[in-house]
Amino acid sequence: MKQKQFELEHQALWSQIDTILMLQKNQLSASDKSVLPFPQLYRRLCQSLALALQRGYSPTLTDYLQKQVADCHRQLYGAAVARPLTLRHWMLVVFPRLVREEWRLLMLAMLAFWGVGLGVGLLVWFEPQWAYAFFEPPKLESVEQMYRSPTMKVGRGTEGDLMMFGHYIWNNVSINFRTFAGGVVGGIPALLSTAFNGLHFGVIAAWLSKDPVTREAFWSFVVTHSSFEVTGLLLSAVSGMRLGWSLISPGRLSRRHALYAASLRMFPMIVGATLLTVIAAFFEAFWSADPNVPVSVKYSIAAVCWSSIALFFAFAGRRA
Amino acid sequence: MITGRLSLTTPEGVRLLLTPAGPVPRAWAWALDLLVWLGFIGVCAMTLGWSKAGKGIYLVLLFVSYWGYPIVCEVYFGGSTLGKRAAGIMVVRVDGLPVGWRESCLRNLMLVADFLPFLYTTGLLCMLSDVQFRRLGDIVAGTQVVYRDVLTVKPLLNVDAIDDEFGRIESQPLPYPLSPVQQRSLIDLVERESSLPPERVLELATIAQPLTGQTGEKSLRRVRAYVAGLIQ
Repeated sequence: MKQKQFELEHQALWSQIDTILMLQKNQLSASDKSVLPFPQLYRRLCQSLALALQRGYSPTLTDYLQKQVADCHRQLYGAAVARPLTLRHWMLVVFPRLVREEWRLLMLAMLAFWGVGLGVGLLVWFEPQWAYAFFEPPKLESVEQMYRSPTMKVGRGTEGDLMMFGHYIWNNVSINFRTFAGGVVGGIPALLSTAFNGLHFGVIAAWLSKDPVTREAFWSFVVTHSSFEVTGLLLSAVSGMRLGWSLISPGRLSRRHALYAASLRMFPMIVGATLLTVIAAFFEAFWSADPNVPVSVKYSIAAVCWSSIALFFAFAGRRA
Repeated sequence: MITGRLSLTTPEGVRLLLTPAGPVPRAWAWALDLLVWLGFIGVCAMTLGWSKAGKGIYLVLLFVSYWGYPIVCEVYFGGSTLGKRAAGIMVVRVDGLPVGWRESCLRNLMLVADFLPFLYTTGLLCMLSDVQFRRLGDIVAGTQVVYRDVLTVKPLLNVDAIDDEFGRIESQPLPYPLSPVQQRSLIDLVERESSLPPERVLELATIAQPLTGQTGEKSLRRVRAYVAGLIQ
């Protein structure tokens, strides 16, 4: 068959497909009548492309058909199934299960954070001069001033709270993301960053606890939101370390595939860690620094937060 | 034939051809996106002012635009941020399908790792060592960046137009049968005539001497006649 005859025969099909592609690009809910025979039309299009290639028709024609086939393929197979409850399912079932599955890495991350924090904290508690080994004196001074200053007693006001909220979101969540991405280099940066955060926390906590004036201000401020913030940080470190570990020990997959498989698996965890850090930012900005809340209430809310975190990761998603 | 294209076979038995985009167009796209983002951030900073509340909202916007802009663009606008659109490239999954939330988030979070130690060195090295020009984030997320097909010419336009200054060309049968690939290259020459310099066309037509038995202008006229015979 000559090319011209072939084009004349298939012209109707091609323009029909063009219309469908245009419709679906412009309006997501195209009228059902035009969508219905789409798979059949697509198969006929594929057949016409195969014929055109096999018969050596001109490149203009085959390129045109090739592009149409590619567009149709994306349209047909790329349409995602609507899964409205995925995120909820991920957060309530997949996420806690994943955390329990990765308990070894979680232990390692907790050791890096709490172990280093406790060790350095005890050192500073008994030998306070060691604090200067980790921080410059002006830095320690300014931290101490912060918890001594009257703003701890009168609060920052709503505007100040909002500013700090923005700061916590931008700063802390970005740190989470960096910890996760840094993990790909063998997991060491993620672990180091966790240990460094633990060290920071340990020194500051021990230093401020020595002084009864700052002790109360510090612990009542920190205790509630740290439940979410530290958990978020540890979990993003765990997901980063898992990526790094898949490079070190890929098992029976190639390194590329191991990395890909690990990242797909850890994605719910990084989403969960991000959510936890966002929740922490809310608490840190609008609750922790609120001077009108009695200290005892803060401690009891903190107890509720910490125990609900522990209970959630211990029991959520076990049935279902 | 070496074309620099990847081919994926679909369930229908046809092949999808994808052209991976290299570091240079991607760097341009990145630079343009950076400019867009800086512009947006600048406008935000100016409108919100430096009050405490304004600063808070500004930082939240900074966060959302910095991490969210590429993700939202890739998921909702055909795999392209503004910069990628301008550079004519798009992000697809390795199987050629559009990216979803998971792929897009992962590849954009991994930008941090690709940046190390400075200015995307890891990403560049990774791209250069991968057949599909994938950076670390692309490997982690199972995506790749390919050129958008730009094609506006529809067939049925060139078919009637085979004529020259002496009027319509009478079709001639081929002296001996040609394979489909050979036929295709003849048709290709005639279709591309208008976009090539005349001397080059004559030079190419001379290569067909074993077929036409002529050189230069005469050979070209004969090729046109054969092509007219092939397609009409």
